[in-house]
Amino acid sequence: MSAPATDRAATFEAPDDLDAINRLSRERRWSDGLPVVPPTAARVERMLAHARRGRHDAVARLAPGFGVATVERIAINAVLAGCDPEYLPVLIAATAAVADPAFNLQAIQATTNPVAVWLIVNGPLAQQLRINASFNCIGQGAWANATLGRALRLILQNIGGALPGEMDRATHGQPGKYTFCCAENEVRHPWQPLHVERGFAAADSTVTVVGAEGTMNMNTHAKTADELARVIAETMIHPPSNEYVHGGEPWFILGSEHAEIFRRAGLDKNAVKHALWALSKMPVKRLSSNEIERARASRTPELGELADDTLLPISPRAEDIQLIVAGGPGTHSVYVPCFGNSRAVTRRIAV
Amino acid sequence: MAKHGKVAITVCSTAFLTLGRAQARALGIADLPIAVIPHPFGGRRREEIRRIADQCADDIVQLVTGAG
Repeated sequence: MSAPATDRAATFEAPDDLDAINRLSRERRWSDGLPVVPPTAARVERMLAHARRGRHDAVARLAPGFGVATVERIAINAVLAGCDPEYLPVLIAATAAVADPAFNLQAIQATTNPVAVWLIVNGPLAQQLRINASFNCIGQGAWANATLGRALRLILQNIGGALPGEMDRATHGQPGKYTFCCAENEVRHPWQPLHVERGFAAADSTVTVVGAEGTMNMNTHAKTADELARVIAETMIHPPSNEYVHGGEPWFILGSEHAEIFRRAGLDKNAVKHALWALSKMPVKRLSSNEIERARASRTPELGELADDTLLPISPRAEDIQLIVAGGPGTHSVYVPCFGNSRAVTRRIAV
Repeated sequence: MAKHGKVAITVCSTAFLTLGRAQARALGIADLPIAVIPHPFGGRRREEIRRIADQCADDIVQLVTGAG
């Protein structure tokens, strides 16, 4: 659907000077606080050459400001963030994904929670675009990871209208709100990759958006599946958790060494989910009294009356726990606690 | 609802008033009446909630009737 003229990007004359354009960007709050690449007409045109659809096509309306994310507006934010033009289809798919009602973008954008949007790219495009799935995959250093995550943040801020302190009400926020993007390591992977698990073909390329509260590293030299599952489950158990209160969707980035321990023990991905779900149940009495009331409001229909000794599962079903395999060698995995009132959404990338 | 000529009032806590005003502007209803309650709202005693609700009800009446 083509957006009406009122929802199309404006153009204006600006000095051919990087410092002047960045001053303008600061004044108009177009940036995340870092310098931007000037979105000149020529750069936006180069980006749009990879769109595979009309520049004025409306991809989504983005809460909380309900700005219309046209292909052109997405492209402008991609330029601002420093993306290569070939990255644009990933951002078009990610923009459609965050607008899916299951993702609950209004809450994610406007909450006091620090939730960031984590992008996971699967399929052949991840390697073609050199999206890092190995060493330091959620750290610095890879152009695609850095600029794709940054571009989505600028889309959410500039089109969705979630400016910090205004419609973005995050109490602290988190570093992942600058950028949070990786690929899955489909080469060193003992099971089906995420997109295949979610019903896509292995040859498809997809992007998954996750409402991520942060990252908690788990360095463990555990060598048996039982021990590894136990220490991961004990990391999940924390009383001030949106997931236990609402019944969430916790995510894990398993290092390939940890994934291999589970595989050698004969556990497939679903068996790992069931083990973590069972081991991470938390007695209701560990929550604060107010959180117990909140949990009762959210979870009584699912679990019945919550008594002090009721064991609270982190998610309604074991299958709600989500696992990807990524990172380099090492005895590390990452727990990614999530927003709670949100479900990840995966979209195929049109290439 | 406001755009369809119905009386519409939003109730929000002080911490979210900026959001409420900004979102109303973004949705083209900048003059949306907003009744404001103290933040945080959760964890208050029942009698406090009743007092806040009584005040809020008065505020809503004033916003609807234009009184005060």
